[in-house]
Amino acid sequence: MSSKITRRSMLRGTALATAGVAGGGAAFLGPWKHNRVYAAGTDKPIKIGLTHDASGQFANSGQAEKRGTIMAIEEANAKGGVLGRKVEYVWMDTETTPQTGTRVAERLITRENVHFMVGAIQSGTANAISQVAQKYGCVYFNTNSSSPTESGKNCHRVKFVWDGSGENFSRAAAKNAIDAFGKKWMFLYNDYVWGQNTNKATKTVATKYGASTVDEVAIPVGTRDFSAILLKIQQQKPDVVAAAVGGDDFKVMRKQVSDMGLDNKPAWLNNQQDWPDVYGLGAEAAFGVFGTTWYHLLDLPGVKEFVARYQARYPTTRIAVPGNVTYNGYVAMRELLRVVEETGGTDNTKIIKALEGRQMSAADRMQTHGAVIDPNSHHVQQTVYLARGNKNPKDKTDYFEILTAADPESVRASADAVCKLESFADTPSYDQG
Amino acid sequence: MVDFLLNLLPHLLNGVALGLLFALLSLGFMLIIGVMEVINLAHGSLFALGAYFAVMLMGQDGGIPLAFMQSYYELPAVPRYIIALIVAPALVAVVGMGLEICLRRTYGKDPLYGLLLTFGAALVLEEVIREIWGPAEYFLPLPKAIRGGFFFGDMIYSNYRIFAAVFAMAMIGLLWAFLNRTPYGAVIKAGAHDSEMVRVLGYNLSRLRLYVFAFGAALAAIAGIIMAPIWGVRPHVGVDAVIPAFVVIVLGGVGSFWGAVSAGLLVGMVVALTAAFLTEWSLLSMYLLLLVVVTFRSRGFAGKASALEA
Amino acid sequence: MNSKSIRNLFTAPMLVSFLVFGTMPFWIDAIGLYQYLGLEVMIWVIFALAVNLLLGYTGLPSFGHGAFLGIGAYAFGLTQFNIAANLWVSLFGAVAATAVLGGLVAAFISHRRGIYFALMTIACAQIFFFIASKWTDVTGGEDGLLNIQRLPLDLGLAEISIKSNFNLYYLCFAAYVIIVVGMWRLVNSPFGKIITAIKQNDSRVAFLGYNVWLYKWIIFTLSCAISGLAGALFAMAQEGAYINIMSLQWSGIVILIVLIGGGFISFWGPVLGVIFYFLARDILGAYTEAWLLWFGLIFMLMVMFKPEGLAGIWQDAQLMFGRRKEAPQACPEPNHAGGD
Repeated sequence: MSSKITRRSMLRGTALATAGVAGGGAAFLGPWKHNRVYAAGTDKPIKIGLTHDASGQFANSGQAEKRGTIMAIEEANAKGGVLGRKVEYVWMDTETTPQTGTRVAERLITRENVHFMVGAIQSGTANAISQVAQKYGCVYFNTNSSSPTESGKNCHRVKFVWDGSGENFSRAAAKNAIDAFGKKWMFLYNDYVWGQNTNKATKTVATKYGASTVDEVAIPVGTRDFSAILLKIQQQKPDVVAAAVGGDDFKVMRKQVSDMGLDNKPAWLNNQQDWPDVYGLGAEAAFGVFGTTWYHLLDLPGVKEFVARYQARYPTTRIAVPGNVTYNGYVAMRELLRVVEETGGTDNTKIIKALEGRQMSAADRMQTHGAVIDPNSHHVQQTVYLARGNKNPKDKTDYFEILTAADPESVRASADAVCKLESFADTPSYDQG
Repeated sequence: MVDFLLNLLPHLLNGVALGLLFALLSLGFMLIIGVMEVINLAHGSLFALGAYFAVMLMGQDGGIPLAFMQSYYELPAVPRYIIALIVAPALVAVVGMGLEICLRRTYGKDPLYGLLLTFGAALVLEEVIREIWGPAEYFLPLPKAIRGGFFFGDMIYSNYRIFAAVFAMAMIGLLWAFLNRTPYGAVIKAGAHDSEMVRVLGYNLSRLRLYVFAFGAALAAIAGIIMAPIWGVRPHVGVDAVIPAFVVIVLGGVGSFWGAVSAGLLVGMVVALTAAFLTEWSLLSMYLLLLVVVTFRSRGFAGKASALEA
Repeated sequence: MNSKSIRNLFTAPMLVSFLVFGTMPFWIDAIGLYQYLGLEVMIWVIFALAVNLLLGYTGLPSFGHGAFLGIGAYAFGLTQFNIAANLWVSLFGAVAATAVLGGLVAAFISHRRGIYFALMTIACAQIFFFIASKWTDVTGGEDGLLNIQRLPLDLGLAEISIKSNFNLYYLCFAAYVIIVVGMWRLVNSPFGKIITAIKQNDSRVAFLGYNVWLYKWIIFTLSCAISGLAGALFAMAQEGAYINIMSLQWSGIVILIVLIGGGFISFWGPVLGVIFYFLARDILGAYTEAWLLWFGLIFMLMVMFKPEGLAGIWQDAQLMFGRRKEAPQACPEPNHAGGD
């Protein structure tokens, strides 16, 4: 069982902290890189810090992944826990804000004494959390931030990235789109890190397959009116518009595109559509061709059961079926608990070594192809599905029509090659017992 | 050259449409700042609240799950939309009245206090919206007549944009007529310049302020409903509204009706043209315009002296 | 230095604040909080004091000050990466960069007052935010400028590591002591008298022959420079510089913090406000997800019924218990800003 931080757990935290002081004062004065071991009782619960956003721009997605991680924890507890120990969680709102991410991570590690941390949507917040995690050595799962820099330039030994990156999605989409729609391409991207990187990747791949660039338009973050850009697109008459527009800007663009009736001509190539951003808006909200890592109507073993378990657990949630964001949270958390079971403890080095290069079967992950955690970038290499809005929905949640399932090798991101993980020697050992 | 002009034409027309929307966005803000000298930072939250109430009144996703409402939701879309356009702003006006009652304690003090109180109210209202409707996005269903696109030469433009622009024009006209052609308008305008005068005319000043604030809140809500199909409906959508409203009012000058309207049109034109030809700078253009204009004309185009400058 | 000038240099509330903040790392864990929170409180106190120099003393509401905190953080990181990985050089870089940019902004807006001043600061802050977001090669955009080091404190004779939150806290505390002492001197100097006079009636000050523009320019630039220092410390605390802090929302929140503490009537208002904000956030946040709702309500009630803020409540309490032997106001400008 577990809870948000309550008065009681605050008091408990106090007791623990005081115990730490009494136990040598090392928590204050000692070198910051030290081994935090407070207790070693085997009946001590395994405590996981959840860093999901509940406010700010990605509040909705943050809550979606939280539903997934909590499901995995509860399922583990229902099976008798991990190593015979109960799994608890402490959740704190990271507010889609890096400075809050830093503070939450510091608090979870130094006061709540969590064993692991899980959860991320926005790359800035994920980076802030992972820097703190790396400083202490706490293993951290970035569940849903798809900036290519997460498992590239800003990778860490303690961080594992579970979502496909923007580059994975563009690789999956580009070749298909040229064959299906034509070679005159126009590129739209949000003028910030994720948009710039993703656009670069898309453009490189598309050019390689013979696309010619009609125009390339940088859209400032926070743009709320796309009418002029949509007129411009009509004037340029491209075959394909490849868009890397994210967050609220994407939601606004989507409304305005469909309002003008431009969602079919030209063909739109959208990088990724997260289920919480689409749900409730109807199939027409899912416009263009886009990537996703999972869909609740995939015809694969286990999918139906997972959806049923979700619905039983969250009967009143507005998002009535799980999507990619919840899925990523769920499989990440489940894998973490399995690794704890396998390594027989919560020692960070052992856990990291067990995760690096870890193979996960297709059936187990409810995807078409097997997945592997790249040992050099800590990025989960997984199936990427291409989808588009569904014209013949089976039910009222059937927004997507899945077009292809690209295998992980064919969409491998080049940005991951930039990653230089810290050595194990430079990563503090961390085990909360 | 001819090609260039032909290319330019749709962008100019789009700029006018956009400018009208910016003006609409600022009407409620303008009324409250002009008459009451209160900078209403809750303008954005009232704007968002209007959109949410309209979603509730349109039914589908986000409707009220009560039995008697279900038969109401079976009405055709057009009457429901018209009802939403009237009832949602009325509900927001009530919220606005509550806010004005809180604001009374700040009258006669530094205008900063009014601004801060409404900043607090904006935080509160946004959180209330989050509590009631959750963080997810809603959409406002529209009657078929104002959906879809139409051809303009060989280009498609949005029907709804035209509807929204015409609606904005009508609102601007109605508000102007109300302020200048009715006795109520005369009292409001008197209140703006001379509260003594209002008393002499035999009106209750505190009631006048209550109504003006309610009216301003309702105008914010109307803008929220009109912008909802373009921007979407989410808890923090108000932030998107309050900043442009600010820019428009400062550019136009505090207390000037036509100053605000022409500033709205200018901002719309500048944003539309930069978005078309220098997209990267389309957001910055609004602020640069403000900086340049206010550097040379300290009260915008047509601003009047105001206690807010103290 | 005679005893009178020492009394002018240090006051009782100042010494209390030194005692409380000076010992904080030793008891913060025991009251159920954590070291990093203390660090953040200390940095925000410095920032809030800088904001209040404008708002409370000069009557200039800057609604875009978060931008300068952010610029300080970026400048600290960029100096460290590109010029010299030395703490003093990087701190100087941060302060100099914010002072120069702050001075530039001040040149545009120092002839403004009241709400037009506030609006111009918003416009400038938005421009800085926009540039930081767009210029990803330099700022890292929304990924943030990462891996900023907590550089060792080189004191000539010894080099002290400030890698632990504990040690970094004391660096921030030292900065706090210097700033509080310096700022207290400043606001009680003839210069301070003039800026408070500007707050009350700037045309009268101008009539007396002072260059109001220049005074406003100096105080704005100074406030920016101190914000830049806070930004540099924040960059070290977070070991990174992130763009979100430059958003209007955070600029608004710091104003809210300053006023809830009572910045209009007391030098110590910003300090009280920061403590209140972080405690409320931790305690309310522990009970409810919608903590901002309750904080917003408290703030509204405060503006309505006690616009003098926490410092005002403190003064009332002192009056009530009859302990008002000597003037309790720490601020040289006792009456709160009335409308004129």
